[in-house]
Amino acid sequence: MTDTVATPVGPSAPARPFRQFVDRVRLRRSSTGVSDAGWGRTLVAAIVSIIYFFPVFWIILTSFKTYEDALAVPAKFFFTPTLENFVHVFNRAYSAGGPVQNTGFALYFFNSLFISGVSVLLALAIGTVAAFGFSRYPLRGNDTYLFIILTTRMLPAIVVIIPIFIMFRVTGLAGTYAGIIALYTMFNLPFAIWMMKSFFDELALDVEDAARIDGSSDVRVFFKICLPQVLAGLAATTVFGLILTWNEFLFALLLSGVETRTVPVAMSQTIGGDIGVRWGLLAAIETLFLIPVIIVTFALQNQLLRGVTFGTIKR
Amino acid sequence: MTTATEVPATAPVLQRLIAPRWDNWPGALAVFIIGTALAISFLAPKVSFWVSAALAVLFAATVVVNAWGRYTGGLLVAPALALLFVMNVFPLLWSFGLSFFNYRANRARAPTWVGLDNYANVLSDPEVWDRLHNTIILVIMTVTAQMVVGFLLALLFAKQFPLRRFLLILVLTPMMLSFVAVGAFFRYYYDPTFGLLSQAVRLFTGHPFILMNTVWGSRIGIVFADAWMWSPFVMLLVLAGLVSVPKYLYEAAAIDRVSHWRQFWSITFPYIRGLMLLALLFRTIEAFKLFDLVFLLTNGGPGTATETIALRVYRVAFENNKTSESTALAYILLFTVIVLTNLYLYFATRRAKEAAPA
Amino acid sequence: MSTIELRGVTKHFGAFTAVRDLSLSVSAGEVVCLLGPSGCGKTTTLRVVAGLERASAGDVLIAGKRMNDWRPDQRNIAMVFQFYALYPALTVRENIMFPLHVERLEPQTAAGRVAKVARLLQLESVLDRLPSHISEGEKQRVAVARAVVRDPNCFLFDEPLSRLDVELRQTMRSEIKTVLRGLSKATVIVTHDQLEALTMADRIAIMRDGVIEQIASAHEVFAKPATVFVASFIGIPQMNLLHAQFEGVENGHGRFRIDDQPTRLPVDPAVAKLAKGQVTIGIRPRALVLDGAASADAIAGRAELIEPMGAETLVHARTSLGSDIRVVVPREIRVNAGDTLRLRTEARETHVFDHSGRAVRT
Repeated sequence: MTDTVATPVGPSAPARPFRQFVDRVRLRRSSTGVSDAGWGRTLVAAIVSIIYFFPVFWIILTSFKTYEDALAVPAKFFFTPTLENFVHVFNRAYSAGGPVQNTGFALYFFNSLFISGVSVLLALAIGTVAAFGFSRYPLRGNDTYLFIILTTRMLPAIVVIIPIFIMFRVTGLAGTYAGIIALYTMFNLPFAIWMMKSFFDELALDVEDAARIDGSSDVRVFFKICLPQVLAGLAATTVFGLILTWNEFLFALLLSGVETRTVPVAMSQTIGGDIGVRWGLLAAIETLFLIPVIIVTFALQNQLLRGVTFGTIKR
Repeated sequence: MTTATEVPATAPVLQRLIAPRWDNWPGALAVFIIGTALAISFLAPKVSFWVSAALAVLFAATVVVNAWGRYTGGLLVAPALALLFVMNVFPLLWSFGLSFFNYRANRARAPTWVGLDNYANVLSDPEVWDRLHNTIILVIMTVTAQMVVGFLLALLFAKQFPLRRFLLILVLTPMMLSFVAVGAFFRYYYDPTFGLLSQAVRLFTGHPFILMNTVWGSRIGIVFADAWMWSPFVMLLVLAGLVSVPKYLYEAAAIDRVSHWRQFWSITFPYIRGLMLLALLFRTIEAFKLFDLVFLLTNGGPGTATETIALRVYRVAFENNKTSESTALAYILLFTVIVLTNLYLYFATRRAKEAAPA
Repeated sequence: MSTIELRGVTKHFGAFTAVRDLSLSVSAGEVVCLLGPSGCGKTTTLRVVAGLERASAGDVLIAGKRMNDWRPDQRNIAMVFQFYALYPALTVRENIMFPLHVERLEPQTAAGRVAKVARLLQLESVLDRLPSHISEGEKQRVAVARAVVRDPNCFLFDEPLSRLDVELRQTMRSEIKTVLRGLSKATVIVTHDQLEALTMADRIAIMRDGVIEQIASAHEVFAKPATVFVASFIGIPQMNLLHAQFEGVENGHGRFRIDDQPTRLPVDPAVAKLAKGQVTIGIRPRALVLDGAASADAIAGRAELIEPMGAETLVHARTSLGSDIRVVVPREIRVNAGDTLRLRTEARETHVFDHSGRAVRT
């Protein structure tokens, strides 16, 4: 009835040991769409990543150096770290021997946080709603609208800077929070709409229909069913939008006033004003400035990396 | 204005156009365009702006009324479109109009019509062509570098390995830096006296290395910084494509005893082709707009060797105050970008028709 | 010689053992089906043969050579995947031609092979289309064509018909069988559909939890199941399995207590050697015969649900203590819900399984 088993064969020595190892690593089972590679690749990737990251690393390192150390030749890897730069970000003497005064950077950091945060949130809100509209209720000129929206992203800032500049001056929006927030929201909208629309397009409609039949209003369907499924898209939009507005320079330079200045503009003034750039100070500003972005990216990394996988062009 | 009686669809176009009804958006659009043109021509800028804005609001109102109830989608979409219109389309149209005048922002007198003079001046200005030449060289260099480096990085990260997440974030950090910091610090790195680059070269040659004082040196300096910053963006897009290839295709290819090269061309490449084109488009557009980095690294130098078009527009507008002329130049740049975009879309849709991985 | 042999193959995934000390031998031209529920290890076994998974222990021999350390592209095997794995960017013709590149044939020879295979599987009309533009059935045939265009050591099929609808499955079953017959290569087919296994395989290996419970011809697994699991897995409607107490054998009849009712059923002579205690009795629905006369040789039950199936009728009955019994009767026999039934059987149709689930049989 059942098959008989032939006598087991003794072990045979592997012919090519290194190839064995490589093959064994390669045949390892994986559970995701990305196959496994093992520690060998980690080594290569680590070397590449560290080299790539080095300029950033050097900036962070410099923020702990004294003015002399920063300019030291040959470059110093080992030095006694100091926190004076971080203090100087907020309070320092503008000229040698002068009084120590508040630099106003606390305000600038707040401005950057506030402006970026609000504009990203607004873009997310308006953009997601609009993307939902584009996806679920296609209008007659849908493709045209979407194309125009996409192209606004592609416009050189230079083209719109002049009329916007005039517009802001004329309407008194120049130097106000409202003006620059509105502008940044507009910057983030095309990306938000495009990304969220492609996510909404992917959703299965049956769940929504079932919910509607059960009596949920459209609003509830949107919040309870659609939104949770597109978290990855929201994450991606947030991170990219944040990076964009956080570091934006040109418009901030021209359109923010003294009270609403953002950190990048303040940074450029730090370079221009002082004689001989205070590299340690600049590095400290940038290091501090980098922290919120890294925090947000890290917090959203799970969703973000999924977003990059599923949110882009899928035919 | 009424909504009561419908204007019959068979009525002549003109009658439909001027019907005073709240949902007559074509009419409102016509009023807006004509009104704005008249206002700019005859009124002071401050006044004409508000007149134009009022007409724009009227137009927006008619659109909303038209859409209410009938087009839920329209309503959902309206705030976004409105914001885009106000902050983008409206200034665009305005500046387009402005380019036909000789407006100067620092002079109070009303602008006078000059027709196509601005455009003619710009197109015949040899300096403009020189800047265009600069820009194109920089664009080609930096986009090529970004595509190559981004692609290689994507290949590296295309498999799961320990610490992948952490290393991926390390590689993404250059994108998160502000242009100001990158510009300033790369200037620092390139500095002949205490820059890291010079010191590294000095280990080998014993002489300080001055990168940024030659034309090609400064170009390479800019390209290096820009490519370093933005290659991770290309990497993300290509990575998305690489990861989306179903594993079983590679298994089947292994069983079919297909060489790695052919596997790449026949299986992997079709998945990433679309995304690479997208990355190419985005980075090219951004490269054409190159302003921040150049402004901070070289300020156009040495001399004007690295002055890009965008930088020139800025100079002409804000340093020379020739507002209208710079607008004309900006519009030529815009035109170039639109042409490029359409070229891309032509290729992209043609590909989509041919062979899309399902 | 095109053969496959697995000796004591085990596969662990971390702490989980998917395949346990499995031994199997497939000779040239033979079709063996790995049949079982999801998670039983059949696909893993196939992948170990293919080289897509590496055996944790044991030997994998293809064409007589030990191939444990060989990669899939070195083994010269052909595989048809469950999801077809057609290359989306290549036309059907290019898909079929793909495995031939490594052989470096003359273009005409290669084209000739492709044409021959396309004719065989009726794909001539779709040769220049892309996989996204052909039907499910055609995709399946292209996957088979791609495997068949080569001259491999063996064929491996992973649930080849699972994605087709019922009619298409019937057609493809016979088509694949015909194609395979002409090629005389060792073939392993993985499936969870017993009908596929019963019709396409020379031998069926029924697997559960990483082990082969029985490997034998279709007839044998049906008529002489080795374990309770095999008995319940094979056969539609499912075999009746009744828990009973075994109390001895008398005149060729076993004495049982089924639901506390003493019953005598004709059994195989080997049952006499079985110790008294818990057993499972297996009787197929079609093996039960309605008997009018009351006798202790029958199982008593009350009909509950009547399902007409056309030429036959399926009757669901219940014993006094609640055990389910299914009976299939010819449609001429009328049974009504509520009727008391007396069910008889024959010795060779009464399968007795001991407390460990093994069949007791000569």
